[in-house]
Amino acid sequence: MSSPAIKTSSTNKSPLVLESVVKRFGGVTAVNGVSLEVAPGEVVGVIGPNGSGKSTLFSLAAGGQPTDGGRVWLDGVDVTGQPTWRIARSGIGRTFQIPSLFDNMSVRENLLAAAVEGDWKGAPGRAEEVAEMLQITHVINNLASELSGGQQKLLEFGRVCMRDPKVILLDEVTAGVHPNIRIIILDAIRRLRETGITFLIIEHDMEMVREICDRLIVMNMGEIVAEGTFDEIASNVEVQSAYLGRQP
Amino acid sequence: MASNPDKVRDYLFRLAAVVVGLIALAFVPAFIDPYSLRIVTGALMWAGLACAWNIVGGYAGYISFGHSAFFGIGAYTTAILMQSGIGMPFLATLVPSVIVAMIVAVIIGGPTMRLRGAYFAIATWAFSEMLIQLATVLDVTGGTGGLSVPAYLNEFFFYYTMLAAAAASFLGVWYLIEYTRFGFRLKALRDHEPAAEAMGIRTNLVKVQAFALSAAITALFGSVFAYWTTFIDPQSVLGPDITDQMVVMVLLGGLGTIWGPALGAVVLWTTNRYIWSTFGDTVVYLPILGLIIAMVVLFLPNGLISLFVGRRRGRELISRILRKF
Repeated sequence: MSSPAIKTSSTNKSPLVLESVVKRFGGVTAVNGVSLEVAPGEVVGVIGPNGSGKSTLFSLAAGGQPTDGGRVWLDGVDVTGQPTWRIARSGIGRTFQIPSLFDNMSVRENLLAAAVEGDWKGAPGRAEEVAEMLQITHVINNLASELSGGQQKLLEFGRVCMRDPKVILLDEVTAGVHPNIRIIILDAIRRLRETGITFLIIEHDMEMVREICDRLIVMNMGEIVAEGTFDEIASNVEVQSAYLGRQP
Repeated sequence: MASNPDKVRDYLFRLAAVVVGLIALAFVPAFIDPYSLRIVTGALMWAGLACAWNIVGGYAGYISFGHSAFFGIGAYTTAILMQSGIGMPFLATLVPSVIVAMIVAVIIGGPTMRLRGAYFAIATWAFSEMLIQLATVLDVTGGTGGLSVPAYLNEFFFYYTMLAAAAASFLGVWYLIEYTRFGFRLKALRDHEPAAEAMGIRTNLVKVQAFALSAAITALFGSVFAYWTTFIDPQSVLGPDITDQMVVMVLLGGLGTIWGPALGAVVLWTTNRYIWSTFGDTVVYLPILGLIIAMVVLFLPNGLISLFVGRRRGRELISRILRKF
């Protein structure tokens, strides 16, 4: 099964471009020659069954894992093989499948810590704004470890927002959260995309995907098996095969 | 950095408490006998050493068992520079001591701080053991015979020198940890290193910076100790018991807290000296120490300081650092 041909701009000036990236873990190929390009302000959903390589793809884009092949471009800059911190400074922000908070720091300190490599002087004011946008002001002095699961997701998203990235990767940001928190997150994504921020979102919640994503990419067995709008994907036989085991 | 009004009030309150405390400490020599003054001077030294170890152990989350190496580097640098051939005055030796320790810390910390947990602890322990062997065989260190330092028998001088060094260390670390980017970087990498890197924090660099800062403070106290005791040998300034005391004092007082290490150092050192003066040796001190540590770990996991500032995060912090093992 090969990935559909993805057009990449000849100058690779898009906020995020992956060119034939490969990742192997021993004998298992988790990501097999995936290519994709995301336009400024675009919200792209990445869906697929568990183990299809979605989170690994995020790690390759954000530098959490070194690639075994292919190239990663951020805003026209080749960041392949760069350490995570350098790629992060190039303008990419990500959340993790399991919230990775600084548990011994307060919510405010978590937000401030996200700004240490950016506008430090303006960080306190920005932290207030982000906390207000995500409606976590009432717990801003609580330790991160004291938050509910949904609040932890909000805080992790808030930390990414603090850095003003050009590209945000959200890994199952609404998984298992209260519907009200899901609404807060969706509103925040909408507001941020209006400012030109690009989103790549891994999500299992099809309702959210339908509401927020301009385009979907479906992964299975480490490869892209389909790409298109929600309606196109919903009627795609290859996607049904990946999810339900039906033969196309 | 600017912050919310509560934080500013808290900051001013703490600053006022520190100023009052320093003024009180400045008058201590007027009210106690010379023997007690020596004990208090020792407590100040150990408080400073515990503060230094806490930067790496409590804030970066890396348990070092080799900090005696930097104490020894400071002590030997001062002792060597004060020998008759060179004859530098004591105060002039402090800067080279600190610089040598920082350079060694960068050289050692660069590769070792890429290791995790027990591997880092073993590497630092091996480094300090190597220095003991070096100091034992080198001529410049006096070998097993050690080095004598020109005597300056003025307890007041050493009390105020230790007080100044301890105060500078605590206030400096307090400011760095609570109010600067460096402190936030350090605490972030302790709590979740991959997340810290995903936010652009160059964790390997921050860890080495913390190690060098910690080494510098440790060496500073090593220098003062050498001049204070007038004689040093490999075991007295490089022995593993120096690191052990630092670790235990921090755990007892409060790992990863600003004032916990000072409290732990004062309690442990005065207990040590009291038992020594009462029973004539420090053997009985060890089981008593063990009992105290067991009680604190069981009932006050964030150390004695949690009696004053809350205990909610203690268990979590200790388990997070231990998970690195």
